[in-house]
Amino acid sequence: MLAATLLALAVALPAARALADDLPSFVHDGQLTLCTNPTLPPMTFVNGSDTNALAGMDIDLARRLAAYWHVTLIPQTMDFEGLFPSLSAQRCGMVISGVLRQAGRLRNYDAVAYLDSTVVAVARVGTPKIREMADLSGQTVAVQSGTSYAAQIERENDRLRAARRAPIILQQYPTEDQVVQQVLIGRVHAFISQDVELYYRQKQLGGKVTIILTPDYPDFHQFAVYIRKDSHDTALLQKAIDELSQEGEIAAMAKKWGISGDHQSVFTDQKAPSRFDFTTFFGALFSTAFLKGAELTLVIALLSHLTAIAISIPMAMKLNGRDSIIRRLLGLYVAVFRGAPTLLQLLFIWNALPQFFPIFREHWFTPFLATWLSLSINESAYQVEINRAALRAVDPGQVLAADALGMTTAQTYRHVIFPQALRIALPPTINEFISLLKTTSLASVISLQELLAVTQIQVARTFQFTEYYAAALVYYLAMVFFFLFLQKRIERRFIWADRNKASADAA
Amino acid sequence: MQLSTSPDPTARISIRGLSKFYKDYLALDRIDLDISKGEKIVVLGPSGSGKSTFIRCLNRIEPHDSGVLMIDGRIIDDRTNLTALRGSVGMVFQNYNLFPHLSVLDNCTLAPQLVRGITKSDAEATARRYLSQVNIAEQAEKFPIQLSGGQQQRVAIARALCMNPEIILFDEPTAALDPESISGIVGIMRDLAEQGITTVCVTHEMGFARHIADRIVFMDRGAVLEVTPPEEFFTAPRTERARTFLAQMIRH
Repeated sequence: MLAATLLALAVALPAARALADDLPSFVHDGQLTLCTNPTLPPMTFVNGSDTNALAGMDIDLARRLAAYWHVTLIPQTMDFEGLFPSLSAQRCGMVISGVLRQAGRLRNYDAVAYLDSTVVAVARVGTPKIREMADLSGQTVAVQSGTSYAAQIERENDRLRAARRAPIILQQYPTEDQVVQQVLIGRVHAFISQDVELYYRQKQLGGKVTIILTPDYPDFHQFAVYIRKDSHDTALLQKAIDELSQEGEIAAMAKKWGISGDHQSVFTDQKAPSRFDFTTFFGALFSTAFLKGAELTLVIALLSHLTAIAISIPMAMKLNGRDSIIRRLLGLYVAVFRGAPTLLQLLFIWNALPQFFPIFREHWFTPFLATWLSLSINESAYQVEINRAALRAVDPGQVLAADALGMTTAQTYRHVIFPQALRIALPPTINEFISLLKTTSLASVISLQELLAVTQIQVARTFQFTEYYAAALVYYLAMVFFFLFLQKRIERRFIWADRNKASADAA
Repeated sequence: MQLSTSPDPTARISIRGLSKFYKDYLALDRIDLDISKGEKIVVLGPSGSGKSTFIRCLNRIEPHDSGVLMIDGRIIDDRTNLTALRGSVGMVFQNYNLFPHLSVLDNCTLAPQLVRGITKSDAEATARRYLSQVNIAEQAEKFPIQLSGGQQQRVAIARALCMNPEIILFDEPTAALDPESISGIVGIMRDLAEQGITTVCVTHEMGFARHIADRIVFMDRGAVLEVTPPEEFFTAPRTERARTFLAQMIRH
């Protein structure tokens, strides 16, 4: 018995220690954090209407790696452009998101390949095949922004220009499904993608597109897991993937997601009618995913605007007051936050702030908080101008009268100035709010699952973009109309400002 | 009349050497004046002579820069409790300055509730009494924008009265009104004076000045040039400036 225990300890202890030693540095606190952009089926996408249910080859691999290191997988979703900044900001330990292993990216990150792939140029069905990329000279081609296809096409263009031929015209879109849409609606001649994606899109694309070229680019042969530069971590990751590969687990995943075989067989001639599908539209309209997305959009807009109003009132009072250092600093604040694009401010707060202050890297700093923070600051810079104009529009005689009646400054603001300024500020404030409600859609770039992010994820899954866009439109319009209605109702309470209405009311 | 150099604590208002500057511009130039309880003073003078600035110093809406201002024996300076001061010195403005977002009744009850801490029902009872006194009780529920200028000025007077002041300052109360409204306001001011409230009135309303004022204070370029009973001022002004001023007033 004792011997058995000792033997067990002797075996278990070194094993446990080896396990701890063998953990890569990006795995800590029992967690493996993953950054992914779930709009690229079958690699990484949302399978079903629950936007938190990630699926795909990449997600399976990440789960398997987490199991391999005996930790929990914490996935974070975001726009493709946000993946590498988030990796740098240490917001996640690794990026697995259908990203190709490429020399350019290896300068800043380490990568371990896990799946072979091929680049394809795809056009509408009936487009003749071409022999090389140069044949696309003068044509428009769409790619996903943030991917390396753009750089590859630029290299082709350098050669075309050297040969005095027209370059390929490039268009970049934030998600893969939008890239494909451009070909489907006939705006661009072709798109560049990977073969694995086409396998998955077979159902949606069957009979609509065809592969016109499989260019042989050495840089586009492998999908890879990206991590921050660390030779020890890379060796451990390589070891893990090698083991999974030898045990046939990676091949099994690829098979599960249909990534195998002859890609020409993908395109059978199923002619699907492309009319507006009302079932999909109403399904989306009443789905919990859309309802939750709309709720988040509304909550973040309301919270941000209320915060903006709260901080912009004292700011406006200070800015309307005498010249001082504080006043100049506030003037600078307003100029900076009105001047910088809202999208840039969001990206800055989410991706750049953690590099200056590591505290913003921690889990409490969620996309929701980051959006709330940046939209509040941004909106306060606009709201302060409305407040200033409204406060200035109140007749100075009002303050004089309140003074002469012995009212304190606080009482004067509370009972005399604010009620009158509110009437003047209300219409432009509601206008700002409606604008802000729509601005929240930018937060999809930092992975906030608001209405537009939900829509894009659903479109990537099903490719029924018209139906899902229409459902999103209904939600946005319903919210905007509600606030316009509210504005009318509130304005009706300001009868004191309108002689005719006030008289009619009295009569 | 020669005043002593120190202020008179028995006077309602006692002023010695009161001066006020706007940067380098001398707005009030060493004013000396005593106003006794219940007295009706009319301040006359060409525009820009400092009349409005002068009466705004009396409730410290404009703080003076030098000299002494004493009300009921108390020195008024930057240590004075302004809430108490303004409770005892009411003011009525040329442009009424009613609170447009409040009904006539609420205009009259807001400050008594906030400043004096009177209950709403007491404040409303007082307000209705004064609104009746200025003959506008039936408009209590209306908003200022629904009233004529003369009606608004009556409300403004009632609002000032609701604080139960001992002194009321009128800053050109009839300047924005039509002749018919003017006579109504002048009547109300005469009634107030008869109730023993001390009034200091800046006006161009010669009827009020001539028939109701106890004394005329004539100002020019920030200085008081004459303090005389009205019959003397209008018949035999002592200074050349006053004669020119009166000649111009008559021509208008």
